[in-house]
Amino acid sequence: MSNTLRPYLNAVRATLTAALTLENFSSQVVERHNKPEVEVQTSPEALLKPLIVSRNESERVLIEPSVNAIRLSISIKQADEIEKILCHKFTRFMMMRAEGFVILRRKPIPGYDISFLITNFHSESMLKHKLVDFIIQFMEDVDKEISEMKLSLNARARIVAESYLSTVSAFSTREYDYNLANLTNLARVRKPRLDVISGHSKLG
Amino acid sequence: MSAPEVFQLSLGPLTGIAFSPDRSQVCVCPNSNEARIYTRNGDSWDLTDTLAEHDKLITAIAWGPNTNRIVTCSQDRNAYVWTQTEQGWKPALVILKINRAATSVKWSPAENKFAVGSGSRVIAICSFDEENNWWTARQIKKPLRSTVLSLDWHPNNYLVAAGTADGKVYVYSGYIKGLEAKPEANIWGDKLPTGHLLAEFRSPNGGWVHDVAFSPSGDALAFVAHDSSINIIYASGPNEPPAAHIVVKLPSLPFTSLTWTSESSIVAAGHDCQPILFSGSHEGWAISRSLDDPSSTAKPLTPTATGARAGGVGRLGNNEAFNMFKAADSKGQRGTPQPGATPTSAGLTPVGSDGLLLTVHQNTITHVEAYEWNQSGEVSKIFTAGRDGRLVVWSVTGGKGLTGRMAGLQV
Amino acid sequence: MAEYAFRKINIDALEEDVLLPSDLYDPDPRGPDGVLSDAQAKSTEVRNLISRGDIPGALNAILTDPPYGEGVDEAKNLTKNALLLILNSTRASEIPAILKSLGQEQQDHLMAYIYKGMAAIGQGSDVTGSVLLNWHSQLTEVAGVGCIVRVMTDRRTL
Repeated sequence: MSNTLRPYLNAVRATLTAALTLENFSSQVVERHNKPEVEVQTSPEALLKPLIVSRNESERVLIEPSVNAIRLSISIKQADEIEKILCHKFTRFMMMRAEGFVILRRKPIPGYDISFLITNFHSESMLKHKLVDFIIQFMEDVDKEISEMKLSLNARARIVAESYLSTVSAFSTREYDYNLANLTNLARVRKPRLDVISGHSKLG
Repeated sequence: MSAPEVFQLSLGPLTGIAFSPDRSQVCVCPNSNEARIYTRNGDSWDLTDTLAEHDKLITAIAWGPNTNRIVTCSQDRNAYVWTQTEQGWKPALVILKINRAATSVKWSPAENKFAVGSGSRVIAICSFDEENNWWTARQIKKPLRSTVLSLDWHPNNYLVAAGTADGKVYVYSGYIKGLEAKPEANIWGDKLPTGHLLAEFRSPNGGWVHDVAFSPSGDALAFVAHDSSINIIYASGPNEPPAAHIVVKLPSLPFTSLTWTSESSIVAAGHDCQPILFSGSHEGWAISRSLDDPSSTAKPLTPTATGARAGGVGRLGNNEAFNMFKAADSKGQRGTPQPGATPTSAGLTPVGSDGLLLTVHQNTITHVEAYEWNQSGEVSKIFTAGRDGRLVVWSVTGGKGLTGRMAGLQV
Repeated sequence: MAEYAFRKINIDALEEDVLLPSDLYDPDPRGPDGVLSDAQAKSTEVRNLISRGDIPGALNAILTDPPYGEGVDEAKNLTKNALLLILNSTRASEIPAILKSLGQEQQDHLMAYIYKGMAAIGQGSDVTGSVLLNWHSQLTEVAGVGCIVRVMTDRRTL
């Protein structure tokens, strides 16, 4: 684990522990209702100051506390286009199944990738420190998951290219070097042979 | 010091709790619209009665020690006074005239009236109306501007203190004309018409005031607020600023409840899951000790990771067949998986005690109240109840550690 | 459509005893002008103290009576920049000793500024996340999570 991830997660853990001090609070505005104050934003005294913990421009966590619910939004690191797509797909997959994840919010807060809504009912039925552990675990895993998916994607692309080119090479007189990093490299290095390949494939 | 007695009354939170006068019965609300009365049977508690009249969550329960009457209040905007008859507990309606949730209820020391705090920014002082056979309320409205979270009666039966969600603490006169003798002037005020505001304080860093309590003599008022502070205010006289407003800011999470155990000690507990004993005087207050297991005092106050984590997906984390299918799924690979492609498991966590907190309570403590008094009138035992459904009786005095620690105390 | 527009009016806001965010704290007794001149004086004082290497003194000065509330944005900016300058120019090994020398009130204020600094990352701030996270963890060690709770509850926005 890199050097700044640990202090980052520790800061989130401390802030989240401080914010998860919830209680059952009946709405002051709507009769006989119990609404997460952080979502309805109707009573200024029931809301607390939102805090941001950030590691760099792209990775940050917004924690919005209130008397009976907190909203935690995570901005996940997205270094390139592939990570952006993977992150979008991954969070979308989760949020479409939000009931199954209990504390997940169906929509992220603008500017963030994924949001959680933890109400006093969650902190009553689950152990609070376990909830904090879960969020931290999620933050660790989501980065790992996305970089792993990115590796898998590249690896899979290579396998596909290899198996595609191995059928092509059957027509070729010369054996190909399979140990190539990626398709763009292949195209550049083997440029003279490409005419031959296309010629053969036309024949096939 | 004797070990605390621990009872698991419910799996969910206990939202209201009150003991019978002789401590043989306890009335609790297990986070529902029903209050349950348990009777003590040796080391366990048996369910004997269920008080079902509310239709939303019961927020507070009070049991009058002299008159043996229970009052419950709920988020359905109602309160009921329950009296024991031969056919069981019978409810009497209270005309509260509030239109939001009732949040807290307390019998006055003489038990001829009780106060109800509510989300509709009023405090209702209720007394019995013989003519109509119901309880009626006189409302205190000014200058409340937010939900009343907590209440307490002054031992003289006339004053009531209230803590609110906008971080204020008020002291009002709760005198009801026609019901009782005219009150005499006291240290908090000399003019005492119903609802007259006598004093007003603010929590130091703007937190919600979770609990207020008058000291046994009634000359001091303590409150705990959500800014992790405990405040003790000493009154000096009518219309005078207080003699002292002592603030103790804590490095831990906020307290939600407190009780005076003597004129110079307070027990408070809350989100930190352990009751803490404070001691002091009008010169200053400080933490004396935690009532919970002393072996856990080595714990740092900053949160640390609890419970080791297991790699992978549950017990499948380091299963060869699972890894093979995972590799086939994510990378299109056949055959044996590449080493390092899946997260290595650091050993699965056995389900055991290490995932639990070291304290007796596993979740926020929401109630701290006196349980037993000694001959000199000081509290010797307290009970706590929390969101983990546990009821714990702690001994407060008699510990050797207390005097030893008090000696080294810096005030 | 027009006759339904009244349905969107927030009638609760028109009630006479409605609670406004500004009712939740007492305004600064110095007034906006006093706060600004104080902040300017402190900002220069801090620069002098830093150049002499007196970091604890600088931190102590800037965290005493910081500007808060509405309408003092300029003073707030000055204070924030001076404070971030201090945080940036402190050696990591000195941090624990400096934090212990601060009073409780000042620790609370420092925590608020650390969060403020982290919120400003990526908006042209020259402090890196790792510096602030280091200060945050050291301060949590010294002052506990209660300090963070007070940052959340305090309505006097620094």
